[in-house]
Amino acid sequence: MAAVQPPSSFAQSGAAGRAAAAAPAAPDRGLLNQYCLGCHNAKLKTAGFSLDGVDLNQPAAHAEILERVITKLRTGQMPPGGRPRPDRATALAFVRALETSLDAVGKQVADPGRVPIHRLNRVEYVNAIRDLFDLEIDGASMLPSDTPGLGFDNNADVLSVTPGLMARYLTAATKISRLAVGDTAIRPVSQVYRVAEFARQDSRMSDDLPFGTRGGLSARHTFPLDGEYSFKLKLQRNQVGNTIRGMDHEHTIEVRVDRSLVKKFTIGGQAKGSDLGILIAIPEDEVEQQRMHTYRLIADRDLEFRAVMKAGTQAVSAAFVDDAGIYEGVPIRSRSLKSSSFTDDASDPGIDTIEIAGPYNGTAPVDSPSRKKIFICKPTNATEDVCARRILGTLTRRAYRRPVTDVDIAPLFRIYRTGRAEGGFDTGMQRALEAMLASPSFLFQLERDPARAKPGSSYRLSDLELASRLSFFLWASIPDDELLDVASKGLLKQPAMLERQVKRMLADPKATRMMNAFIGQWLIIRNVMTADPDPNLFPDYDDTLRDALLEETELFFESQVRANASLLDLLRADYTFMNARLAEHYGVPNIYGSHFRRVPVTDPNRYGLLGHASVLLVTSYAHRTSVVGRGKWMLENMLGAPPPSPPPNVPPLKENDGKSAPKSLRERMEQHRANAVCATCHTRIDPMGFPLENFDPTGRWRKDDEGAPIDPVSTLNDGSKLDGPVALRQYLLDNRDEYVRTVVEKLFTYALGRGPEFYDAPTVRQLVRDAEAADYRWTAVILSLIKSAPFQMRRVGDSPVLAPAAASQANQ
Amino acid sequence: MFISKLHLPRRTVLRGLGATIALPLLDAMVPAMTALAQTAAKPARRLGVFYVPNGMAMRYWQPPSEGALADVPPTLKSLAPFKDQLLLMGGLYDEAANLVKGGGDHARSAGTFLTCVPFKFTYGADVFAATTMDQLAAKEFSKQTQLGSLELALDSNAILGSCDGGSSCAYTNTISWSNPTTPLPMENDPRAVFERLFGTSGSTDAAARLSRIKQDRSILDFITEELARLDNRVGTKDKQKLTEYLDSIRDIERRIQKAEEQNSRELPVVDQPMGIPTDYATHAKLMMDLLALAYQTDLTRVATFMLAKEVSSRAYPEIGVSDSHHPLSHHQNEVAKLERLHKINEYHMQQFAHLVDKLKKIPEGDGSMLDNSVFLYGTGISDSNTHFHDDLPIAIVGGKAAGIHGGRYVRYKQGTPLANLHVTLLDKLGIGVDKLGDSNGRLENLSV
Repeated sequence: MAAVQPPSSFAQSGAAGRAAAAAPAAPDRGLLNQYCLGCHNAKLKTAGFSLDGVDLNQPAAHAEILERVITKLRTGQMPPGGRPRPDRATALAFVRALETSLDAVGKQVADPGRVPIHRLNRVEYVNAIRDLFDLEIDGASMLPSDTPGLGFDNNADVLSVTPGLMARYLTAATKISRLAVGDTAIRPVSQVYRVAEFARQDSRMSDDLPFGTRGGLSARHTFPLDGEYSFKLKLQRNQVGNTIRGMDHEHTIEVRVDRSLVKKFTIGGQAKGSDLGILIAIPEDEVEQQRMHTYRLIADRDLEFRAVMKAGTQAVSAAFVDDAGIYEGVPIRSRSLKSSSFTDDASDPGIDTIEIAGPYNGTAPVDSPSRKKIFICKPTNATEDVCARRILGTLTRRAYRRPVTDVDIAPLFRIYRTGRAEGGFDTGMQRALEAMLASPSFLFQLERDPARAKPGSSYRLSDLELASRLSFFLWASIPDDELLDVASKGLLKQPAMLERQVKRMLADPKATRMMNAFIGQWLIIRNVMTADPDPNLFPDYDDTLRDALLEETELFFESQVRANASLLDLLRADYTFMNARLAEHYGVPNIYGSHFRRVPVTDPNRYGLLGHASVLLVTSYAHRTSVVGRGKWMLENMLGAPPPSPPPNVPPLKENDGKSAPKSLRERMEQHRANAVCATCHTRIDPMGFPLENFDPTGRWRKDDEGAPIDPVSTLNDGSKLDGPVALRQYLLDNRDEYVRTVVEKLFTYALGRGPEFYDAPTVRQLVRDAEAADYRWTAVILSLIKSAPFQMRRVGDSPVLAPAAASQANQ
Repeated sequence: MFISKLHLPRRTVLRGLGATIALPLLDAMVPAMTALAQTAAKPARRLGVFYVPNGMAMRYWQPPSEGALADVPPTLKSLAPFKDQLLLMGGLYDEAANLVKGGGDHARSAGTFLTCVPFKFTYGADVFAATTMDQLAAKEFSKQTQLGSLELALDSNAILGSCDGGSSCAYTNTISWSNPTTPLPMENDPRAVFERLFGTSGSTDAAARLSRIKQDRSILDFITEELARLDNRVGTKDKQKLTEYLDSIRDIERRIQKAEEQNSRELPVVDQPMGIPTDYATHAKLMMDLLALAYQTDLTRVATFMLAKEVSSRAYPEIGVSDSHHPLSHHQNEVAKLERLHKINEYHMQQFAHLVDKLKKIPEGDGSMLDNSVFLYGTGISDSNTHFHDDLPIAIVGGKAAGIHGGRYVRYKQGTPLANLHVTLLDKLGIGVDKLGDSNGRLENLSV
């Protein structure tokens, strides 16, 4: 069977098959014989890998092995340190010749790879619900998080289905359909929103809170029905005595819904002085102390009220009126993870939780956002069934991401009829939507092979399948109506239309989802949320800073992509985003308030991503930096040359014991590296970490480490030196091919939900060349990835077209 | 062949013997050709562990002398109606709590109570303890029930962050670990517990549950049809995914089948709670009611329940104690403070007695559900003023069908490992383990 004509930039000669036509002149095998074969021969098979019998004139027969040779040589991982090496120019010339011959194979043998059926992960599910029903749900409480594969939580291979998981999806479908329709049988429930325990509440907490307030929180709450709801606030308590903090003075609390004031409370000031009851049981005769302690135990008991609300999602906030008479953002007194856990050091109270309960006396909502999305017609006796079919047709088309027929609608309509008979039109609709959300057509990204397709052949995806791939890549959600319309008409395959749609989607606010998901997982900075710097060493680190670290990098990345900057600018941009908390951390003056704004960076050490505290934090331990962690991170995520795992039973570095003179981390590491086995990899890893040593584990600049001066200089295998962040960045820019290839491979992995395989290597190289030709601009890089064969096409069958390396060699 | 169905209940035999002699189960006591499970000494069906923090006002807890209980001690007064099912124990020692390197005594108590293994002291996510005794039971019983176990509490269920003496909160806020690295967060929201037990039916009312079952069925049928419509144009890996999906649907179908069978049982009608009640006693009662329902429907047979987290500073103004619990527990032996501490201890016990009362009233087999349940009530600190982990206040309630003989106060040799109790209770549940933590034998005297 002839391959479908592949996309333009990947034109391949028509005759696909194993028999390779005359390839370009093969590279000289002498290099392999001289430098590699000593270990990688059929007898020794070092690392399970033999180059005996690998014929460079038959690249198609050995593509997988040869791609490995390319990676190892190009990134300088092989030959290992201490062994004779070809000089760099010779090695690169050999690599280029090999790449050329493999690229030629790639043109003759089409293999776009195959993405297995892909279950919607939690992020995609939540987004799809929002886009379908205009309804915000609390995904984290409804569904478990997804295990990442290859570093990304949308990896199709890893997204499995278990009975427990399926039960959660079904329960979610029930709850969501009730919420969306506004089922009056919904029972009152209470939901608690909590302020992170170690968030600072001494300034305005976020852009969702009004100016002139401090502390508190804003939560997006979905009110299921029109009706009455109760709101209850609790204040933060001291861990030891369980008393409310900061009750010496009177404070005012404002509760707002979508920014308009619904309630004001005053609290505090009724008992002043230090409360003995925190630490001891108060003697019987100390009446005043008893009274004060009791007050501090129960003062927030009456922070409760009821209000009538409309169905839908609204921002509910509670915060203190900032009556300190000072401008926003100046910390009154900082709290830390350590001190707040033991004593009542905060002079100000903090909000602990907002509890919203209801609905009471709820009535069916008339015009909630989700009902507007669902009930596009009004049923009358005569037209009820017509209207039901119309609603189901519209929603199912969006949910299933394709035109639907009666075959799709009929079973849902039957479920609707049963519900209609039991509880009326809305009930019927709710039941049908519940079923729709449980359907495989919604829960899975299904791509189906053409009839009678032969294994090993490949085909171009239908426009509708392509539309789904696009929207899950760029929006982490389902297509919108425009994209579906274009795809249904078969217009999406036209290059101009495809380009127009991609640009439109990238410009849409929904594209931020892709940007945040990609940067957070590529750089692993999502781990900021679980990193715990040692509170004894970093008493200033708090939850407010933690959020700010992640937000800085997300905002920076988004600004880069939206401005269509160069991939290289991620490394060298001289601006970033900060709010007061982050500026305080970096030691940048004159930035006030919780709002993030673009800020010029004047210190070249801080340019680009390598100066972001998020990156520096997640590559450190709780109590010290990790040169190895940072070096490994650089090799993996910037240079695409991840080191192998360390051998078992390596003793950890000796910690300073406080008795003998402190040794610098470098001295301790050099002791460790004296071992030749360790040195093989660590001569590559460590030099990539040392230049960042002036950044402490939380990313602050420092001149010494536990008293020992910092020495950020490292020596590379070729003898050249890197003496700090500026030199390290320059190293990446000098090796931009490696850096760009790494970004492209990560983007490929996220976009497709599968990692690049050996047969994708020619595509990746083409994408790198395309990127260079387009000045490395984001839009061009994303577009050429979307136009590439792996994105546009699919192979039939699970096995690669070219035989992979023999099984005995597979475990490299 | 003549098979005698006559057999002697084990207790009638033992009654005539010295109370301290334990006898092996004699063949004569087991009826011929009848499975062991149906005899007088059959294993208990369910387990509950109830934990209270900050030690105990011991003088109100401890009976004046060993042997038969003349009166129920003041702390346990609410259990007086069930005196014959109350077995008080003295002398047990949680040595592991003393062996933890670092952290406060409170973390050490809760963190070792059901493992009797010193845990790794850390404030980070790298917690390490051991599988707890309740989870050993859960692993066995989960073969027959929908849920392996329930972990319940009346405080926030956070297990991250640092709590007592810089220990991870995992050691103070839960007593249940499914393996050494997995502390099980305790659920404090009755609504969440209800949903775990009864799904989205909204009520335990039979009609409501039946209606939900019907809806679930129609959706599962729908999914199965939809799957059948997907033709074969998918690859091997794709088929695997769809098979996984179909298998999951089948599994849910089986669960619904079970639920349907259970639906005929008479259950008290309980509506889905809306959230956490403000009032402590209301909250506790609701959680105890839900636990009783879970036992009654056989949705689970194993539960752990913290009446307050360890080192809790909750004050109980509603019973006239506005002192924070933890500071009060350092009473320096002042009578007034001890009395107030006792009030808290007694108040906690009352919440537990509500459950005991419920189960006592529900018939099961020849007796009540209580007869077939074994409850362990206690804490990992004895006198709160000194924080010692020996001579712990421990009460065993129920277990009559398994041969546990109440109405007594038994003292073991000072320093007897608490773990010996755990392995003995597991024996009573029909789950034989050789050893748990620092156990060095079985406890005698549970059955007279």
